[in-house]
Amino acid sequence: MSNAHTIILMSMLSSGLMLGVIFSLVASGVTIIYGSIWMPNAANGQFFLLGALLTWTMTVQFGLPPAAGALLVIGLSVAFSYLLEILLIRRFYDVPNRNISYFVLSLGLTQISAGLLSITYGVWSDQFQVPPLVRGVTFIGPFPLANTRLAAFAIAIVLLALLFALLRFHKYGRALRAVFQNREAAALRGVDVRAVYRLSFVLGNGVVFAGGILFAYAYSFDLSAAWTMAITAFAIMIIGGPGSVLGALVVGLVFGFTQAIVSTFASPTIAAFSYLGAMLIILLFKPSGLFAR
Amino acid sequence: MSVRKNLIPLGVFVALAYGLPLALAGNRYLAFVCGMTLINVLLACGMNLLYGYTGLMPLMFAGIAGISAYVSVRLSEAGLSFWLAMPLGALAASSLGVLLGLPSLRLKGFYFTLCSLVIQSVITLGFIYFSGFTNGDTGIAQIPLPSLPGGISLAGPPYELMLATFASLGIALLIALVGSSFGQRLVAIREDDGLAEALGIDVTRQKLGAFFIGSLFAGLGGAVYAPYLGFVSPRSFDVLVSLNIWLMVAFGGRGTIWGPVVGAALLTPVPFLLQDYYTIKDVVYGLLIIGVIVALPSGLAGALKLSPRPGASKVAMRARPEKAS
Amino acid sequence: MTAPLLEAAHITVRFGGVVALRDVSLAQVPRETLGMIGPNGSGKTTFVNVMTGHLRPAHGTISFDGKAMAGRKPFQIAAAGLNRTFQAVRIFQELTVAQNLATALVDAMHPLDPDAMAGAIDWLELGHRMTARAGGLTLYEQRRLELLMRLVQQPRLVMLDEPVGGLSTSEVHAMLGLLAELKSRTTIFIIEHTMKVIREIADRVVVLLAGEKIADGAPTEILRDPRVIEKYLGSFDA
Repeated sequence: MSNAHTIILMSMLSSGLMLGVIFSLVASGVTIIYGSIWMPNAANGQFFLLGALLTWTMTVQFGLPPAAGALLVIGLSVAFSYLLEILLIRRFYDVPNRNISYFVLSLGLTQISAGLLSITYGVWSDQFQVPPLVRGVTFIGPFPLANTRLAAFAIAIVLLALLFALLRFHKYGRALRAVFQNREAAALRGVDVRAVYRLSFVLGNGVVFAGGILFAYAYSFDLSAAWTMAITAFAIMIIGGPGSVLGALVVGLVFGFTQAIVSTFASPTIAAFSYLGAMLIILLFKPSGLFAR
Repeated sequence: MSVRKNLIPLGVFVALAYGLPLALAGNRYLAFVCGMTLINVLLACGMNLLYGYTGLMPLMFAGIAGISAYVSVRLSEAGLSFWLAMPLGALAASSLGVLLGLPSLRLKGFYFTLCSLVIQSVITLGFIYFSGFTNGDTGIAQIPLPSLPGGISLAGPPYELMLATFASLGIALLIALVGSSFGQRLVAIREDDGLAEALGIDVTRQKLGAFFIGSLFAGLGGAVYAPYLGFVSPRSFDVLVSLNIWLMVAFGGRGTIWGPVVGAALLTPVPFLLQDYYTIKDVVYGLLIIGVIVALPSGLAGALKLSPRPGASKVAMRARPEKAS
Repeated sequence: MTAPLLEAAHITVRFGGVVALRDVSLAQVPRETLGMIGPNGSGKTTFVNVMTGHLRPAHGTISFDGKAMAGRKPFQIAAAGLNRTFQAVRIFQELTVAQNLATALVDAMHPLDPDAMAGAIDWLELGHRMTARAGGLTLYEQRRLELLMRLVQQPRLVMLDEPVGGLSTSEVHAMLGLLAELKSRTTIFIIEHTMKVIREIADRVVVLLAGEKIADGAPTEILRDPRVIEKYLGSFDA
């Protein structure tokens, strides 16, 4: 195979993997929140973008080192999620059919965030670039891979593995799965349902923010990333099955590769069309998703 | 639901709708705000039919208005009279709306709304992508104002009077529909569509009908918006616009005739009041959406106890859990 | 031998791996009150859902008034004259009693004429509650409203799903009186899980257990049937 072909192939592969893990992370966060408190969070794209923008603020505007900046952003996201939970989210825990109220609520949050971001970050810059996590470039054959991307990828994999382990082996994960299945039964077995809810909301959002942070270290970006990610994350969640982290993982990777391949040969808009089309088909014919519990 | 008791408010509305633009004729800025309010009243009526009376939240509403706007603008450019282009555009939009909405009508509550969001996204992406037809993100500018068949241009107050006519007719149509047996069926569907079906009501057909009529309102609104503003782009018809029209209905009071009219009247001037801080309107609207969901599920009409019909006590769509035994 | 009004042949329903109904067949002739009884989860409501178009069976045919009803939607079956009520009382909570009634009439194929309707409203003692919000009615009043909403459609057959659920002893007694009267106006199919109620008004009883029909006959026969006694020992308030 010629060098040019190898490079294109490696490029698609690395893009696919990189995007795939970030998609998986964000979609996992969204699906955890939907599966536990029944909240479809349309604002996930805004939170993702916020993670990326705050990382930019920490490293470019405040000049913090990358690791410190990232940790600070995570800390802020935890505080932010707690605040949101206390002020807004917990009011609906006992409302039947709360998913639609939550959905519209999250659309409201999306609008607020979009407005705020456009008069702050939107004014400060068009394109955002964060200094690399790790400088330099590694060569795989003829193909150059930015070290910052490698690092972001590795961290994403670790996070996904930790998330999976948490859900499968830790007692919180078992409590969460019990609540997913049947909230009343879980309560009878002594699970503090409200605490699980609160934790799920913070964890889910944290994972979304983490996705944004890693995205910032891997790519340059602009404000439109929010909307693109929101659509993608929802599509992944619906197709993978709401509440299924495994579904988010698998479908996220598939989407990553789809995006990489389609962007190479056609435009990213076509990729977006295909996500929307796939989501429509699943909604109409198998609404519980492919990996339904 | 009596038609008669809406006649006085309708009279008041007609007087204001025609009177204000004439009174403000000297101040084009304020007259424009009036005109935009009238367009939003028309749009809010369509959204009210779907959300307030049928219980569906169609987030592709703005997309449908947009399809009508682009179609009628292109038809006018091709030489067709505005008075033909406008209804054709609206019909094209409604038909497309019904086609796109048809499969999603058997989805309930959140899934329907999500599906409509997806359809809206497809429409917005389509507007951007098919730039041969829509001129993409750049948009179409300098859309001319139409003239009456006699050749009299409709620039200025006459256009606003035309808008007043449309808005008044729109409200009158809504009053008639809501007071009819069609309206009765829609309310039953909103309250409990499973029970409605068990009582012999063809729920899917009624929803389709509501969809078609609601889309006509959207289509007409889009078609009269384009020449008035003089500019359209994909952003003019995206999901946030659908959401804001929804807000006018939810904030004013779903399931009442006049709540959404008041909602449109209160919310339309917001971006104009904010002037240079225009983008803050998103923050204001977003806060109002949250406010409505958290505190005002029946809107202002409900809060002021003006709602003649006992409204649903939660914004959430009523869906009965089906129990098997 | 009168032609059956309601006929179900070899109905099988599966939900995923669970068989909710297995090869259930029965027939009901006009003016015969048929009861269906069985413990919770035996498939009684599933059966009604199949007969009224809410559920498609994996196998089997259903017919009403001699016409095949396979694949028809619930509103079409209601229009054909087969009505049902729901296990948990189900009315339009936020609408008034009058609005509930109007909704029952809006697409009724053969609505009662105004005099007969006034008579029905009086008989069910709802005349003084017409402008009240339906959700504010007592449970017994709501049950009567449910009956009224079916009556005004003049159905040929009504499937009542546990119509006395949640009522006090005296209300059950009164409701049974109403149902006895109802028998003269239409044919009734009634689901219950207590034999006591079924025994009073059913002419014939079908017993369902874990989705299968295990007995079909007059109430007195059923009570003596060894299979019923064996499987249901102690389960019935007989």
